[in-house]
Amino acid sequence: MPKFTLNGQEIDAKPGRTIIQAAQEHGIEIPHYCYHPDLPIDGNCRMCLVDVEKMPKLTPACTTMVNEGMVVRSDNERVKEAVRGVLEFLLINHPVDCPVCDQAGECRLQDYYMVYGLHTSEIPLEMKVRKRKVIDLGPMVVLDQERCVLCSRCIRFFDHVTQTGEMQFFGRGDHVAIGTFEDRPLENPYSGNVVDICPVGALTSRDFRFKCRVWFLHATDSVCGGCSTGCAVRIDHRDGTIFRVIPRRNPEVNESWLCDEGRLSFHELNKAPRIQRPLMKGRDGVQAPVTWEEAIRSIDSRLKETRAVSGGNSILGFASPLATNEALFLFKRYLGDQLGATQFEFRVDCEDKNLLEEEDQILRHFDKHPNSTGAINLGLMNTQLCGIEGAIEAARAGRIKAGVVIYFNPLVRRPRDEEVEGRIFELIDVLEYSVVLAAHKSEWQEGANVILPVTPWSEEDGTYTNFQGRVQFAGKAIEPGGDTLAVWEAFAMLLHANGAESPWMSAEDVFATMTESVAAYKGIKLDQTRLPGVIVG
Amino acid sequence: MKKPAKVINVTERAESESSFAKDMLGPLVGMGLTINRMMDNLTGKVNATIRYPEERRAYSDRFRGAHILTAREDGSPRCVACYMCATACPADCIYIEPAEHPDPLIEKYPARFDIDMLRCVFCGFCVDACPEEAIIMSRETEICAFTREETMWDIKRLMSRPELPEFGLGYRPNEKLVDSTIKFTPKKKEKKKLAGRVTLKEDVEMIPHVTFDPTKD
Repeated sequence: MPKFTLNGQEIDAKPGRTIIQAAQEHGIEIPHYCYHPDLPIDGNCRMCLVDVEKMPKLTPACTTMVNEGMVVRSDNERVKEAVRGVLEFLLINHPVDCPVCDQAGECRLQDYYMVYGLHTSEIPLEMKVRKRKVIDLGPMVVLDQERCVLCSRCIRFFDHVTQTGEMQFFGRGDHVAIGTFEDRPLENPYSGNVVDICPVGALTSRDFRFKCRVWFLHATDSVCGGCSTGCAVRIDHRDGTIFRVIPRRNPEVNESWLCDEGRLSFHELNKAPRIQRPLMKGRDGVQAPVTWEEAIRSIDSRLKETRAVSGGNSILGFASPLATNEALFLFKRYLGDQLGATQFEFRVDCEDKNLLEEEDQILRHFDKHPNSTGAINLGLMNTQLCGIEGAIEAARAGRIKAGVVIYFNPLVRRPRDEEVEGRIFELIDVLEYSVVLAAHKSEWQEGANVILPVTPWSEEDGTYTNFQGRVQFAGKAIEPGGDTLAVWEAFAMLLHANGAESPWMSAEDVFATMTESVAAYKGIKLDQTRLPGVIVG
Repeated sequence: MKKPAKVINVTERAESESSFAKDMLGPLVGMGLTINRMMDNLTGKVNATIRYPEERRAYSDRFRGAHILTAREDGSPRCVACYMCATACPADCIYIEPAEHPDPLIEKYPARFDIDMLRCVFCGFCVDACPEEAIIMSRETEICAFTREETMWDIKRLMSRPELPEFGLGYRPNEKLVDSTIKFTPKKKEKKKLAGRVTLKEDVEMIPHVTFDPTKD
């Protein structure tokens, strides 16, 4: 553990750290453009120059290892002047088109200018070297060469993370510009990441472009609902609309990256119309709106009737691996513990083997559900029933009479999902009594006796268990509209209607009860589920 | 070495400067002015009121009335939809919808730019915030409509302002730039003498100039 002094403060750095990393771990920010914690070190921007005692010249903090007894200053006049000089050089040919630049508000050039620069530019606008603007680089990225500070983060990302090497420097002198060969579009499933790592406005998002200025957005920490990897994300939203989803750094899961499917997955929430209030089939066979109380009372009495006539074994619980752990826990508690149901399933069929299979070497998994492991941990997998196919067979044979189905539209859609929805339609058709909990209106719900409107991803608090068994907390970004409730709230109401105690006021309370009674989650605290999350099972 | 402060007796000076004529004639001169004004009013030489819709008071050059969106030379809006005005607006009355401009040097333009004139408090923050001199204010005060919808001024209404010659431009920090781009001829108005305002000739000294040198005396 080398000890060194930074700005008069003694710091115990971890071995193998550079000055910038050790400083960051102790909450001291050294300005930088090219350094990124998850990319190889380049040392080309010269913003992180620091003064190391007994070294004749200033040295970049991102390339200098911490040594025992080193005395470093990042705040003296010599360093400040050098940084101001570097910033002035970086801004020489900058077009200063902040009004039209999407990065404005989260731009490192703006931030550092206000702290270190505040100089007047010596170069008039007409004398600046003009480069190309608004270059279309595929479905995710728009390139503006003028705004670039040539930090090479994007180049290193494609060289070392995706290892596809699409981008490169072109030209020399002050005409150097980044770009792809012959402006070929970036058709990489991870290309959206270069927008996040670009410290300036050179690479901006095609999807988010001009949608909203960043200072209007509110951020909510969440977990991506696109696949079982469970990348930490931040949902940026305003007035009940999600504008973008960007990754948070979780070194244990996704480092700083997020795939494009996950980044655009929130659009899926707005594609289908939402169910606004509970619907119940009356005597005339038409689904008509009812209140939650009526719906809950009717569901509870009908399910109890089924149990009395043909036993608890005849009730099917078909869960969604897109639901939170809290939702699935109360689902199991109501159907299993209260009504004695034993038939639980969440898979399509037994052949659903690719639950843990990787789609590529970086992040993505084939399982496009964020909480499959959670469903398994809660005992919702039934090897005898064998997925929805088995459930349909059992229902045809008369072994299953009633069913409660939770189904959310997947955030990353695959052609197979149509098939799954067809299967659910078939299942509902066969069942004598069926309850559906869903967020979006869809054709497969037509046969259901009761439809309860519930909140999808981003509209409720909850935890998800990813493929590693890591439990991660995802926050509620958007206030649900209409008569929509969270899934756990619906089952808490059902438990209450059934005479059981329902002491839960929030998802956190449900989580606390879950950690007491489910073996896999025993003893974990909610605080542990925030970054980087806690591994269970 | 500093000079010791000198005691100045003000009474002495006042006594030496006063005279019988000043003391007695002063009030008479004042009375004369008062009577003159009274005669002017009585004979209708000046009016205390104006006939409002036909006549309007001339407001200052920095008056903050209804907004104007300025145009480029080709007639398209100068606005680049940067949201600075909407950010600065304390009344939250500006709604902008940006769109992609085919010219990469402009890049962004407002597809919609609405100002809710009923919500606007005419503070002029939007004009101060604008980096492109795209929004300025006029001296227009008569924002009347039969329905609420009409008070939502859209980009067309904000850019073409037939009322401008009547009212003239208002608050605009960068006058030279704005005035060179906006083309309209303000209506000439005859100056009316208004009551309660004394117009002074330029070379009239209002306060008798007294020089006071502390080193003397």
